[in-house]
Amino acid sequence: MTQKGLRFYLRIYGKILAQDLKSKMSYRADFIISTIGMICTNIAGFISFWILFSRFPSINGWGYYEILFLYGFSLVSLTPVQCFFDNNWSLRQYVYSGDFIKYCFRPINLFFYFQSEVFDVKGLGQLAFGLGTLIYAWVKLGLGFSVLMILKMIVFLLTASLIMIALQNAAAATCFWIQNSFYVLDLVMRFKDYAKYPITIFNSVFRFIFTFVIPIAFIAYYPSLVILRPDAVPVLSWISPVIGLVFFWLSYRFWMFGALKYSGTGS
Amino acid sequence: MSAIIEIKHVTKEFKVLNRREGLKGSIRDLFSRDYKTVRAVDDISMSIEQGEIVGYLGPNGAGKSTTIKMMTGVLEPTSGEILVGGNVPYRNRTKNAQEIGVVFGQRTQLWWALPLIESFRILKDIYQISDADYDEMLKLYQSLVDIEPLLHKPVRQMSLGQRTLSDILAAFLHNPKIVFLDEPTIGLDVSMKAKIRTLIHALNQQKHTTVILTTHDMGDVDALCQRIVIIDKGKMLYDNDISHLKQFFGSYRTLKIRIKGDLKQYAEEITEKLPRCSVSADDEWISVLVDESQTTVMQVLSELQKDYKIRDMQLEEISTEEVIKKIYEEGVK
Amino acid sequence: MNLKKYLTLTRAGIIEALQFRLSFLILVAGNLLYLIVTYFLWKAIYASVETDTVNGMTFTDTLIYLVLATALYGFLEMYLVWEIGRNIQSGKIVLDLLKPMPYRRYLFWSYSGSFVTQFFFTFLPTFIVVSVVTHGAIPLGINLIWFAVSVVLAVVINFSIDYIIGTVCLYTESIWGINIIKQVVVLLLSGATIPLAFFPDNLRTVVHFLPFQSIYNAPLSLLLHANPDWQTVCSTLGLQLFWAAALTLISAAFWNRSLRQITVNGG
Repeated sequence: MTQKGLRFYLRIYGKILAQDLKSKMSYRADFIISTIGMICTNIAGFISFWILFSRFPSINGWGYYEILFLYGFSLVSLTPVQCFFDNNWSLRQYVYSGDFIKYCFRPINLFFYFQSEVFDVKGLGQLAFGLGTLIYAWVKLGLGFSVLMILKMIVFLLTASLIMIALQNAAAATCFWIQNSFYVLDLVMRFKDYAKYPITIFNSVFRFIFTFVIPIAFIAYYPSLVILRPDAVPVLSWISPVIGLVFFWLSYRFWMFGALKYSGTGS
Repeated sequence: MSAIIEIKHVTKEFKVLNRREGLKGSIRDLFSRDYKTVRAVDDISMSIEQGEIVGYLGPNGAGKSTTIKMMTGVLEPTSGEILVGGNVPYRNRTKNAQEIGVVFGQRTQLWWALPLIESFRILKDIYQISDADYDEMLKLYQSLVDIEPLLHKPVRQMSLGQRTLSDILAAFLHNPKIVFLDEPTIGLDVSMKAKIRTLIHALNQQKHTTVILTTHDMGDVDALCQRIVIIDKGKMLYDNDISHLKQFFGSYRTLKIRIKGDLKQYAEEITEKLPRCSVSADDEWISVLVDESQTTVMQVLSELQKDYKIRDMQLEEISTEEVIKKIYEEGVK
Repeated sequence: MNLKKYLTLTRAGIIEALQFRLSFLILVAGNLLYLIVTYFLWKAIYASVETDTVNGMTFTDTLIYLVLATALYGFLEMYLVWEIGRNIQSGKIVLDLLKPMPYRRYLFWSYSGSFVTQFFFTFLPTFIVVSVVTHGAIPLGINLIWFAVSVVLAVVINFSIDYIIGTVCLYTESIWGINIIKQVVVLLLSGATIPLAFFPDNLRTVVHFLPFQSIYNAPLSLLLHANPDWQTVCSTLGLQLFWAAALTLISAAFWNRSLRQITVNGG
């Protein structure tokens, strides 16, 4: 059996992506409205912050710009899941209608094949908004600038992305067992909104839960500490890249397990 | 010649939920659930040679798609053995996938937004088809169907017929050893059906591809299959040539008559008058299936003439449609 | 109006919703976690100010407000825009239009089953839990009646807004974009995410002239005051009644007008 390598998959992804973008350009109105919608979401989040901080000076010792930094960080780290894994949202419909079976007949990785089908352009709008927020907060906080910081930033943004992807995979895959899995996905998406708050606001029980069970603390808080509070970085921040990989791998196994189990049932 | 598909004593069981009825039942289901085991496929064996076209028939829910899912590696049998091209499908799903093509009548596997040619190019990469093989296949396609107008059309803009045609072409693209076609002509008009049958036949001839065809349209069977396999309620009822099957029903003949008026209504009336014959009607003819070991065609005809003014008549051997219908209803004697 | 044929739809909706046992558990568990996050977050926020009361809201008030807003969201957000949009795109709308009742009414009564189940499975338990946990911080008196009336009006207003936005889907394929814009605008300006009491004064004035605050802010404010004076009750309910009537008329007229102009896709 010929093992298909990374190059093989990248090539196919590139091809599908290029074609997909080409066809998307022919639906310009949809593209524009979706982008406006994405920007609206982000602006609404921003306004919520602004309203909150117009009444309250800080949250648990975290000031306006620090929270804004977390917010920008979480938006940027959400971009990959938005762009590359958006088909997860349609998964339950494919499963429900039985159309999911069509993904099972190709001689390539099932998970890859399914996710490759959709590239969501509007994630790029979020990326721009998130980067803007992040840079604004960065400057206002006077964090300084060095190549090492940028490198750290990239590594930890990727880490956060992996966690987010893992959460979404796992949530989407529940549709292989339960029919109305939309609630699960919706729930996870609501949780990501809380990722932008420092985990120290919780008591120890929930700190544990949000670190190890539903690891949303890794989406912005732990990775951001490396830049924001470099004097007191907990060990968890440093090992978060490993945790990200582990969670991603687990979610992938879970997704595949569900997919193979499911495709058996139904007609 | 060795078999390309070898199935030995395969059984597949499912656990299904017994849902209770009504509002009260729904509330009870909330708290306690009741499962039962269903045997979708029950001890099936068959062996299929390279290049055969096999009609795989059975009423809805007979276990056809379960069997096909097992052959394609999507499902693992509960017991028994399956070999497809020397592979155990569910153990080597991706390797097996390289050797097969699959078409589901109503579910396209092509990229919805992309023109057909782009889907082909992606499939070329996925199946790692060499340039030479790919070009040769496209040339073959061009000689068989008028493919040009399809190539640059996004799948979402195609009619059902065009989409099915495209799906079939996509399934044969990597020159697989076996192609599974699940109701390929469902919902299509007469001329499209004919076009698709011709295409399948030609590809089978040219490429010596084994075709497993499930269908409810006996026109497909008549046009394509020498051999049919019939299953019902998971059990195998029949596996042999169609002509052989028709011998079972050698004493049966079909009397077709034409009467002016509403044929469907007359057919119902005649059913009441002739309880031992099975009667059906299409747009032109009323068909009466007569078992000549019980009564004669002449008797039936004179019976009918008493009540109706028969404008035209034909006498035919039993049709595949009727043979299959009889088997579904009564089994093989 | 023959009520029986509408109640049949309600009953069918309840049966359908009950099929999804696990989803219910997840919904309840999810809401619970969500509430816990809200609790800690606002506790931290209130810890940052010296006073107990901010803009007339104590910590307990805020918490009850937000928790019940979430519970209300559970049955107000019915993803109606998605439903209409998808029916339009698939052409299924043609079948629905053939039903022997107006489409708007057909949809409303189809969803009424979910209103009922959601009310009993999410809102009522949440209400009881909150009531017990806060040791009767929710006044239980005449205000419950005003609240109930107000919620019914909120359902009507929300449905009409959704229906108007759903109608927009006749003009564009961008359901996602349209829906997300509606969602963030409604959630922010209705006071579902942050109580209107915390809004800066000028923004609050603007918001009061919009229909959105009638959805979450109006019923919840009525609930939180033990003995609201007649003036407040009348003006709140009066305003809701006005919006309910106005939006019902607008949504029906907009739909009828649009349907006449647009030819339905596919079918």
